Amino acid sequence: MVGTPVLFIAIPLLAAFLIPLLGMIWKELVRIVPGLVLTYLLILAVNLLVHVLAHGPVVEVIAGWVPPIGINLVFSVFSGFLVTLMIFLGLLVWAYSYRFKRNVDYEPALKYFLMLMMLITGSVGIVLTGDIFNMFVFIEITSISGYGLTAFYKGRDSAEASFKYVLLGSVASTFLLLAIMIIYSQLGTLNMADIANKIHLMNPTLKIVSYIFFVTALGIEAEIFPLNGWAPDAYAEAPGPVGAAFAGIVVKASVYAIIRYTFTIFDLSGAFNFLIIIGMITLIVAETAAIRQEKLKRMLAYSSIGQMGLVLVAFGFGTEEGVFAALFLMLNHAIIKSLLFFSGSYLVYNSKCKYIKEVNGMSKFLPVTSLLFALGAFAIVGLPPFAGFWSKLSVMTAAADSNMILIMVLVLMVSVVELVYYLRVVNRIYFFKKETAIEPKKPTFNALVVMIVLGVIILAIGFYPDVVTGVLHKASASLMDKSQYIHHVLSLRQ
Amino acid sequence: MDNTLFGYLNYAVYGTAVLVILIGLYGTMVKKSLLKVVIGLSVSDSGLNLLIVAIGYYKGGTAPIFSPGFLENFKSVSKMVDPVPQALVLTAIVIGFGVTAVALALVIRLYRHHGTLNIDEIKNLKW
Amino acid sequence: MKKVLVILLLATLGYYVAGTYFDIGFGQPHFIKGLLPVKDIYLAQTVKSLKVSNAVTSIVVNFRGFDTLGEVTVLFLAVTALGSILYKKMNVLGERSVLFSSSSIVTSGSKLLFPAIILLGFYVFIHGHLSPGGGFQGGVIIASGFLLMLLAYENYSVSHTALSVVESLAGITFAGVGLLGFMHGGTFLQNFLPTGVLNHLFSGGIIPIIYIAVGFKVGAELTGVIYTVLHEKGESNG
Repeated sequence: MVGTPVLFIAIPLLAAFLIPLLGMIWKELVRIVPGLVLTYLLILAVNLLVHVLAHGPVVEVIAGWVPPIGINLVFSVFSGFLVTLMIFLGLLVWAYSYRFKRNVDYEPALKYFLMLMMLITGSVGIVLTGDIFNMFVFIEITSISGYGLTAFYKGRDSAEASFKYVLLGSVASTFLLLAIMIIYSQLGTLNMADIANKIHLMNPTLKIVSYIFFVTALGIEAEIFPLNGWAPDAYAEAPGPVGAAFAGIVVKASVYAIIRYTFTIFDLSGAFNFLIIIGMITLIVAETAAIRQEKLKRMLAYSSIGQMGLVLVAFGFGTEEGVFAALFLMLNHAIIKSLLFFSGSYLVYNSKCKYIKEVNGMSKFLPVTSLLFALGAFAIVGLPPFAGFWSKLSVMTAAADSNMILIMVLVLMVSVVELVYYLRVVNRIYFFKKETAIEPKKPTFNALVVMIVLGVIILAIGFYPDVVTGVLHKASASLMDKSQYIHHVLSLRQ
Repeated sequence: MDNTLFGYLNYAVYGTAVLVILIGLYGTMVKKSLLKVVIGLSVSDSGLNLLIVAIGYYKGGTAPIFSPGFLENFKSVSKMVDPVPQALVLTAIVIGFGVTAVALALVIRLYRHHGTLNIDEIKNLKW
Repeated sequence: MKKVLVILLLATLGYYVAGTYFDIGFGQPHFIKGLLPVKDIYLAQTVKSLKVSNAVTSIVVNFRGFDTLGEVTVLFLAVTALGSILYKKMNVLGERSVLFSSSSIVTSGSKLLFPAIILLGFYVFIHGHLSPGGGFQGGVIIASGFLLMLLAYENYSVSHTALSVVESLAGITFAGVGLLGFMHGGTFLQNFLPTGVLNHLFSGGIIPIIYIAVGFKVGAELTGVIYTVLHEKGESNG
């Protein structure tokens, strides 16, 4: 046995309770321990993923009660891939902020790293859990860490952004509980596999109402169009690495939840078209909003929302190619958007308002960071030979296979819009002159290493997409095979 | 209690709970004072908890506790109300408390920053 | 105008939510016929294999103990976030922002009541597996005792370090007991102690241990929340 999924939750929680005590012994430990925990989890995740690729999903029961009595965790190729990706990004975010937070006092540093670790743990829990109420608990863990991290900086309007997030987050939890109780009152169970097994017995009206409540609730976290009001402000006002964590980790987990509900739990035939429609609306609205933004981080946030819309569209095809394309997009988005947030926050470090025009001529001052930002910008737009090209191409292929020409046209048009607003920034970085003399903040050693690692990964995936496509194909196959999932969970015996 | 009267109770209990949720949401969306917004959140949480507990109720059921008296008088557990919603609501209450505490802390921060609780005067960001 | 829109929106929402729940029905079995709801298994196993009298406790701590671990974490995070949001460089533990003088009746009354409240809190969480109540309820009662003291005495203070030590130790106990079960029985939070006799204080295996840890943790955390907010300097700086 190479380790079990429950350690992904138990070890960080134990560490979280230990860290305040360790901090009393040596203050530096509050920075080091989260990194050690995340490193350990990454090793565990990679080991388990390799094991799962060879031997099939690992299902872990808790407290010795088999499903549907107890809570279970499922580490399949699909969830395992996402968990590995999230923990990897979490480790990078930690490494990036390790020295970045040096100028902060002990107390806030302790709280920052605690909340960052719990943000990652909560997202991992959302992906791993096999129980709808347990998922609610993990969503709340993630959101409360998110509220705290958004309001981390004192000077800016961070409290207001966080308050917005709290309001929408509470509405989300209300809807989530309503939906959970509808399911429970009909089927008498909270286990996902058990629900999926029995869902066809449910009254269709109740089924649709609960599905809509689920999607509304999770849509708030996943930044689907009419519900994404919190996202741009939270991204813009939170510390830079936290923006990357939101885009790379939290949103991925919420999208996973929507997908799990649509593909595995509910058997609604219209749900896929519903995903395509909300995805398309989100995509169009977000990309047109992004082009009008004046602040760099808000632009990145809207671009992130748009990408999530595209991911939903790709999932909405309902075919294995569609799922593959969506997973590829999620992987690329996680890596590239993190790089953009990391490098972008250095480019606008000096200005107070973080306007796009502040990046004028930054290539003279921060050549490496500017180069990496440009690399990320080209990659996310989908220019060859970078990583983003392959994911956009696979979306197009999947759309063509499903005979959805309109969506192909839409994706191309959106790519042009993306090209316009990213080139605008890159153009300013390289070909504009800085009017005022500034003392630019040089990236710390850790930050530079993290950004270069991300840049290398983007190039590697761009030139050798085969290194990831194998895993992605297996992951999408594991999502599509619903009966296998149910079988693996429900066949466990005491 | 006859059956028709009990039938109306259905509407009374769920109706009240849903009404409380709606009142809370109304307060959250319309009120100008930040404190009232947070109170609205709390109220809608309470309505939700009421709704969840109501789902677990069975007519004439007893508390799900195997006290010595229960074991002597009743032999079957079918007389007990459903304990699962009660357990879930315990979790939901605690989580609601956590969110309310964070929201109130943010209100204090906003007041410290702007010197007012009026939501119209705080809008630096787009809403 | 906005109010009308909001009312319309909420009315639509309310119509659907209420309609859905009216369909489900109140006070009668609503599960689809032919299915075995998990609550029947829970009720049967509570007595049979856990020897716990309070079925809610057995669900909260054992069957769905993972939820409770998450729930405790949510509280812990709420306290952490509260501290981070309200943190100020200067006077972290400054003067009390809310000052009021209480009459001697109130002060001596609270002094008399305080031990009784704390005792009740301990009683509630130690007997969580036998009677209604448990760690959360007991913890809240303990915190209310501290709230009473903080309200009655202007200069009553609780050691912040002690609170965070209690909080951490209780959390470590919970997660540690879970991991011990993992080492002993192969699954997290598995019961590894003898379950004892139904309706005795020492019964239920690890359930009372976890609930006592939860009680201490909730008590310390809620006291911490009250203390942090009370010591918040309310002046505005523009």
